[in-house]
Amino acid sequence: MGRPFAVKGRKRKHKEKYDADSGEEGGHSERKELKLDEDRGWASGEGEQSRQEDETKAEEALEGIPIIPSQGVGEKRTGVTFVLERASLEVAKVGKTYQILNSDDHANFLKKNGRNPADYRPDIIHQALLAILDSPLNKAGKVRAVYVRTEKGVLFEVKPHVRIPRTYKRFSGIMLQLLQKLSINASGKREKLLRVIKNPVTQYFPVNARRIGFSYSSEKVVEVHDYVASVSDETPLVFVVGAMAHGKIEPEYTDDLIAISNYPLSAACCINMICDGLRRHWKFI
Amino acid sequence: MAKKSALSRRASDSGKEDLKKKKKKKGQVGPKAASMKAVAPKPNPFETIWSRRKFDILGKKRKGEERRIGLARARSIDKRKKTLLKEYERSGKASVFVDKRIGENNEEMGEFEKAILRTQREYKVKLNKKNKFNLSDGEDDDYDDQEGVGFLGRDDFEDEGIPDDDEGDDGDARTGKSQRLSIFSKQLEGPDFSNRTGGDLSPGEENKHKGKKEVMEEIILKSKMFKAQKAKDKEENEQLMDELDKNFSSLVQSEALLSLTDPGHMKALKALVNKSLPQDALEKDNMSSSTKGESTLQDVPDAYDKLVKEMSLDMRARPSDRTKTPEEIAQGERERLAELEEERQKRMLATDDNSDEDDDGHEAENSVALKSRSISGDDLGDSFALEEQPRRKGWVDEILEREAAANSSEEGDDFSEESEGAEEDSGAGSSDEHSDEDVKKCSIKDWEQSDEEQFDQDSDDNDEEDDVDESVKHEKKSVSEMRKRDEAVAERKNSQTQTKPALTQAKSLPYLIDAPKSLDELNVLLENRSNSEIILLIDRIRVSNAVAIAAENRKKMQIFYGVLLQYFAVLASKKPLNLELVNMLVKPLIEISMEIPYFAAICARQRILRTRTQFCELIKSTEVSSWPSLKTIFLLRLWSMIFPCSDFRHVVMTPVTLLMCEYLMRCPLLSGRDIAIGCFLCSMVLTLTKQSKKFCPEALMFLRTLLFAATDRKITNRNSQMFDDHMELRTVGPLLRFNEGSVDIIPLKFLELMDMPEDAGYFSSDSFRASILVSVVETIRGFINVYRDLIAFPEVFSPISNSLLEVSRQEKMPAKLKQIMDDVARLINEKADECYKIRRPLQMRKQKPVPIKLVNPKFEENFVKGRDYDPDRERSERRKLKKLIKQEAKGAVRELRKDNYFLLEVKEREKAELEQEKAEQYGRAKAFLQEQEHAFKSGQLGKGRKRRR
Repeated sequence: MGRPFAVKGRKRKHKEKYDADSGEEGGHSERKELKLDEDRGWASGEGEQSRQEDETKAEEALEGIPIIPSQGVGEKRTGVTFVLERASLEVAKVGKTYQILNSDDHANFLKKNGRNPADYRPDIIHQALLAILDSPLNKAGKVRAVYVRTEKGVLFEVKPHVRIPRTYKRFSGIMLQLLQKLSINASGKREKLLRVIKNPVTQYFPVNARRIGFSYSSEKVVEVHDYVASVSDETPLVFVVGAMAHGKIEPEYTDDLIAISNYPLSAACCINMICDGLRRHWKFI
Repeated sequence: MAKKSALSRRASDSGKEDLKKKKKKKGQVGPKAASMKAVAPKPNPFETIWSRRKFDILGKKRKGEERRIGLARARSIDKRKKTLLKEYERSGKASVFVDKRIGENNEEMGEFEKAILRTQREYKVKLNKKNKFNLSDGEDDDYDDQEGVGFLGRDDFEDEGIPDDDEGDDGDARTGKSQRLSIFSKQLEGPDFSNRTGGDLSPGEENKHKGKKEVMEEIILKSKMFKAQKAKDKEENEQLMDELDKNFSSLVQSEALLSLTDPGHMKALKALVNKSLPQDALEKDNMSSSTKGESTLQDVPDAYDKLVKEMSLDMRARPSDRTKTPEEIAQGERERLAELEEERQKRMLATDDNSDEDDDGHEAENSVALKSRSISGDDLGDSFALEEQPRRKGWVDEILEREAAANSSEEGDDFSEESEGAEEDSGAGSSDEHSDEDVKKCSIKDWEQSDEEQFDQDSDDNDEEDDVDESVKHEKKSVSEMRKRDEAVAERKNSQTQTKPALTQAKSLPYLIDAPKSLDELNVLLENRSNSEIILLIDRIRVSNAVAIAAENRKKMQIFYGVLLQYFAVLASKKPLNLELVNMLVKPLIEISMEIPYFAAICARQRILRTRTQFCELIKSTEVSSWPSLKTIFLLRLWSMIFPCSDFRHVVMTPVTLLMCEYLMRCPLLSGRDIAIGCFLCSMVLTLTKQSKKFCPEALMFLRTLLFAATDRKITNRNSQMFDDHMELRTVGPLLRFNEGSVDIIPLKFLELMDMPEDAGYFSSDSFRASILVSVVETIRGFINVYRDLIAFPEVFSPISNSLLEVSRQEKMPAKLKQIMDDVARLINEKADECYKIRRPLQMRKQKPVPIKLVNPKFEENFVKGRDYDPDRERSERRKLKKLIKQEAKGAVRELRKDNYFLLEVKEREKAELEQEKAEQYGRAKAFLQEQEHAFKSGQLGKGRKRRR
């Protein structure tokens, strides 16, 4: 017999609302949240004060010992969102099985089909995802969501608490299943960790988000730390990084296109720099 | 009949036509393609629409794309027309017209096939029994014979005959005819026929048509060819062999082979060649020649053969004696000694004074001793390569050496007696203790025995193995110490043999000696012996009572060990110190204690206990120096060599260390000699802690006290809170403060110092102070090296560095000493800085932030789309069926809907037709009426009639 209805849990439709700005229900929940925040703010404000007092006391007591700023656990900030554009994740039927195409294993196949093997680099997206999800930024819970858009235009969402497989082989397995089954569940739970969603990606961004694109070709070369500091803390940030081997991202929705180094960087390195800049800005270790 | 014939004619006609067509287009794919073309001759523009694919997947077969939606729709409509429409039309009718013509209902059949089937049926009917006797029309028969079968025959022929060489149509026809004829009339087969076919066909084409003769001829030809081939091969082989032989002979003559082989073989080879060369002409078989060559080889015996023969005659290797166990070795040693003893006895009886022989014997004994040592101790005797002897140890050794060289100044023996008394006391104490433990009453004399008994019980009770383990551990750990000691001993021996060659040739030594049971016995045995002789005696006692030989020997050895230890103590406390002998005793003591580790530990503990109680007594009276005597120091040193000092907790070494620390802590510094003893103890503590790195604050405190004694500014020191009160109490005055500036620093001679009276002038001399300070500073340096990894290093050593700097800042400090002190102080400061660097400040609310919880995604290794990965098989099966049902239901619904649409359409059309017809009729009627009306109105009624006519 099938499972009783309640076991399956509530439907996603009711649970998650993607475009929170539209619809009455979303507004309601927002209000509730605000209320909660107020409460919390009151409590945390007091805690802050007492902590400061403590620190001053400590400074008086032990002269000469450097005081390391304690880890700011509070400070509810809106997390950042990452969008990885132009990821080369393409499923093809090689022989009898479906596989994610990569330039190493399928060079001959690609040549036979008149494609350029150099364009098929799923390892880039793998590294980039690892860089985001393994960063201290994510460990501290400051990454809101990660969206990946493939060359073919398939958009999928990666929840920030996914543990992406470390080896490429397993990663390609998971991507293959995602692109065919359109969602990946958590092991042991019914939560969907990876899910193919509808385009365009902008509908999933928080309201008033600042969308920042990254490109080596940009004239505006800035330090991430400074750039982030210039943006007010209230505005949520969306970073759009390309995960392709050649070319540049050309999304229409970005507010700004910046370069963070005078050198062309790999996607993973770029993400590392972004994460580090944010970490320094938010002052946690 | 007529109808049938007509039908068949038509069929045959169409067949003919088709045949022609077929012949014309051989390259056509198949009948199906043709039929398809017939169905859709003109492409309907709607039917050319192809299905669109949403996602283009590379490498996927384009099977789905072949489906044309428009075409499929058209087909389905056609199908409905044939089925549904028919039914619909028939639905209002009572009777049905059934078409029973052959093949008429079969869709796939073409006209031609239908015709064939029909003719076949007709033919069969004709062959019925009933029709057998029917007279044929003649016309029909003819037809059948020639044309009816002609179809079949031609058809068959076409399949196999066409891919042949291009013969003309005529030839084909002819052969076809002949075949037909052969099939129909087999008995008519004539010779001309067969000839013709035989001539026509090429020989490899068909076996069927070959004559018997031909076959035989062929066989003969083949066998002939085979024979010729064989002969040819044989000839070639022979030629090849000749060539090889020639090559070989030339090779033999050349230098290359000559250099490669030995001359003996060469000869043989040459003989072979010479013999075989003339034979070559006669004999063709190479094998026979080679065998002959071998036979000639055997005639001349060459080196190799000789070697083989020798080897066969060689002796086989004998199995050697097995390696002896330690027990057997000990037993053998003992037997040998017994033999020697017997000989000695004989000699003693025969000739009393035979100094030469004795000397020889002595030498022999020496060698024996050496040998025995090399056997009994693992690698102790011959390990002289010890360069990394530590600094402090070297210093001590130096002192000892000096002492050995000097060997002076005699004193009264009362102290030794005193120590003896102490010994007795200790015996009493220990026995008391044991009587406490065991209920047995033991005499004072044999406390060792009681000890031993207890030990035996213990071992019986629980840990024989433990014992062994311990001994092994001891062995390993004390190897390094023993090495050092050994070296010293060996040096001593060498120096002795060089400096005083054979002082007193004592009376001959016995070979087999029973282990002495008391100190008196031992004293009697060792009376008036030289040092080397004493050692020899002890060795012999050990060999003759080796533990490995017999079980009761263990007991004996234990008693002997106690006695020997006592002897050692007595020797150490004797005033004209026989340092050489003391040094030499160390080695047997170590070895014995390795054999009986448990007992050795018990002995050591007893002695330590006694020394401690003595010390407690002594310290109560402030006048007498409570520092340990030379005997105690020697014993402490001995134990530190016997037992491992790096153990975390050891039955002997822990008390030893504690005792030394207590000495350093509690004894007041009264004189220069106390300082020297303290210094020595400090260096010993250093050697003990070097490996284990145990922290020993007492030694450091003592060293600081000494430094403190070297300064004159008491007041400033008192101000600093770091100094203990009791440290100040202990120092009487600035004992080590310099009076004059320049002194030469000479290393101290510890034993010499010990021999000096307390108020000797030397103790107040500057040179003594300088030397003490040097040793103090060096010891501090050693401690720095040992404790460099301590976390509290700066806190422990910074006061020392302060006092060092203070001392070195004094005016009258010799420059050399000053430099050393500054060096050490700098070292301390550097290390302290390093430690400070490593230290981390305390953190407030130190706790690691909790990272977000990660969740593993669930996915399959080889995911295949559409496969159900549900582990519950039944459920997945059910789901699959449900899916199938759903799919089918959907399909059925779709079909029904389409049917309805179709029917609706048809009905609509019918209705429309009906309407139209009605309208037409109505129109016609109306027109007629209108015409009539018109006529009536216009008055031309008669006109029509006129016209009709």
